[in-house]
Amino acid sequence: MNRRQLAALAGALLLGSTLTACGSDDDTASGDNSGVTLTMLMGVNNIYPEQQRAWFTEVSDKFKAETGASVRFETFASANDELTKIQTSVVAGQGPDIYALGTTFTPTAYATGAFVELTKDDWDKVGGRDRFLPATLGISGPDKEHEVGIPFASRPFVMAYNKDLLTAAGIDKPADSWDGLRDQAKQLTKDGAYGLAVGYADGFDPWKFIWAMTTQAGTPVVKDGKASLDGPNTKAAYQAYLGWLATDKVVDPAAVGWKNAQAIAAFGEGKAAYLPMVSASSKVSLDKSKVAGKYAYAVMPTIPPGATSLPSGGVAATSILSGDNVVVAKYSKHKDLALALLKQLTSEESQTSYYKTFGELPTNQAAATALGSDPALAAIVESAGKSLNTPFTGGWGQVQLALTNVVVQSIPDLSAGKVDDGKLAGLLGQAQSTAQEALDKAK
Amino acid sequence: MFLPGGVLTLLVILVPLALALYISLLDLDQYSIREWVGADFIGFANYVEAVRDSHLVHAIGLSVGYSALVTVGCLPIGLAAAVATQDRFKGRGLVRSVLLVPYVLPAFVVGSTWRIIFQPDGVANEVLGTSGLWLNGPRSFWALVIVQLWAGWPLVYLLAAAGLQSLDATVHEAAALDGAGWWAKLRHVILPQLRGPVSLALVISFLHNVNSFTLPFVLFGVPSPYDVEVLPVLTYVESFQNFEFGLSVAMAVVSLILVAIPMAVYLRAVRLDTGLGRR
Repeated sequence: MNRRQLAALAGALLLGSTLTACGSDDDTASGDNSGVTLTMLMGVNNIYPEQQRAWFTEVSDKFKAETGASVRFETFASANDELTKIQTSVVAGQGPDIYALGTTFTPTAYATGAFVELTKDDWDKVGGRDRFLPATLGISGPDKEHEVGIPFASRPFVMAYNKDLLTAAGIDKPADSWDGLRDQAKQLTKDGAYGLAVGYADGFDPWKFIWAMTTQAGTPVVKDGKASLDGPNTKAAYQAYLGWLATDKVVDPAAVGWKNAQAIAAFGEGKAAYLPMVSASSKVSLDKSKVAGKYAYAVMPTIPPGATSLPSGGVAATSILSGDNVVVAKYSKHKDLALALLKQLTSEESQTSYYKTFGELPTNQAAATALGSDPALAAIVESAGKSLNTPFTGGWGQVQLALTNVVVQSIPDLSAGKVDDGKLAGLLGQAQSTAQEALDKAK
Repeated sequence: MFLPGGVLTLLVILVPLALALYISLLDLDQYSIREWVGADFIGFANYVEAVRDSHLVHAIGLSVGYSALVTVGCLPIGLAAAVATQDRFKGRGLVRSVLLVPYVLPAFVVGSTWRIIFQPDGVANEVLGTSGLWLNGPRSFWALVIVQLWAGWPLVYLLAAAGLQSLDATVHEAAALDGAGWWAKLRHVILPQLRGPVSLALVISFLHNVNSFTLPFVLFGVPSPYDVEVLPVLTYVESFQNFEFGLSVAMAVVSLILVAIPMAVYLRAVRLDTGLGRR
């Protein structure tokens, strides 16, 4: 490369950086928007890829007819992908206008301060805050005045059960306490089938069990900025969860290596009576499996381990508040257009059609109410209403990881058929200090 | 000419490196990432935290230990394969290609496949007559060594084979005329000639293993079991799960120093830095 070529290269680099710096000017949803393209980032749907592509086109066409602007969708394959995209966009101050985020990730996104806090005026542009199911707004912001997340889809957790296996064992309905579930599971563990299918090696599922059990016991893992991961109820929750495999022997020993998908597969083979902690999206694989037509969904137990009724202070949460929120980037030059698009996406009509295509529950109140009458969905809709948000702190991601890490490091013991009390206490102590440190840093 | 190389080095290496060094001195996290230049300057606090409060020291020991084991293990396998495919025989081309398969497979595929093999009810336990865990607990370290060895030895083979190609046929003839047996030929003719390419292969293999992220990530997932919490995975978790960017970059700087040591030793040894080969 000679000096002139080098100068050309440097020039091209400079030009590139100045070009990206001058975007188009701010605009409103009304007026001429032709030529404007909004970008929305959302998770790729691996279960319905073709339908998702069709949905992208449909949304863009409809939006163009109404506002003149078109919508371009970008997808991410995993949460890590998404995080990388958000981080680079946030630092660069450019990127997608709208992001669809998992609910538990919303507090972390809020902590970056990179997304628009919705004013009353903004909510009105989305069609009003009261068009949403109140429960789905639980993790939109730290309080009503500082909300960034607009609820878009709801995916509450429930458990699936094999109707034939339960009937054969003389069990008329799923237990409502975790101890009861364990006892039923013992009864159901026979003839090559196990009581429960649990993905102990999953990167996400384990903490949700611990969160649910401790919340029900009245000692949530995080309260008012204080972590309590080393308390007796947390320990009892881990003992119950790990005990299913280690000491109660109601889970296939191979489950120490299972992720969620493998647990679903085992249940689908008819090798387990209960499959806790799944969302409605499991329906797609189960309806193609051996247990198609032989299973149903029920809400998970709401009475914590060691109890026969809900203790005082306990919350009968059936699931974490789970699903997707959408947020608008502060750097977006098209905020009003973005809100107009979200109005379109959260309308009763769009939400109903989204449910019919993808099986994700509406956050739109009218659409959700209409679905509640479907008996096949009863348990899932019930769980949606009884979901509880995880704590709204930017440090939640770390707490979640610390909770899961305890399970990961306990797996060798689990495999050896024991839950070592001293080791568990040590791991919980570590988790507690990690979690508290993260909460102390939270701003 | 200095200028093009100098500018490229500046743009591609020195600027990002300087930025990384600077970020490692900041309290950069999810709360300050948006305006990262304004993050609090905290001096060497990230380095202190990395050494004192994180698993960094353990991770370094682990990374260096397993990489050394894998590198040493690759040597005899790679050399043997190179020598065995040196002489012409029918189907040699095919054998040579097949030997490279583990190396050219994407790490993601290798990781996913071995993940299935190492399941508690998987093939590994069946074949070895063992039971229990491979992907967690003390045995996971050996699982990592086995998989990296499986995926890594063809590099030694490849470079050794290339080295053998360049051996002058007359040297072989001379050795044969002097009545050298195969061992003497291997020991006194072939191996000395291979010292260059093979030591390059060993350095690359070691560095590759120290830096390897995808394989342990896919094989064990995160949070990582303590016995296989290697340096790249630890760095990744601090950045992308715990959002401790400053701390994570400090760890990355430490690992950079770590990989720079064998690299420097090697560069000195072969005088690549001066452009003059040592005979």
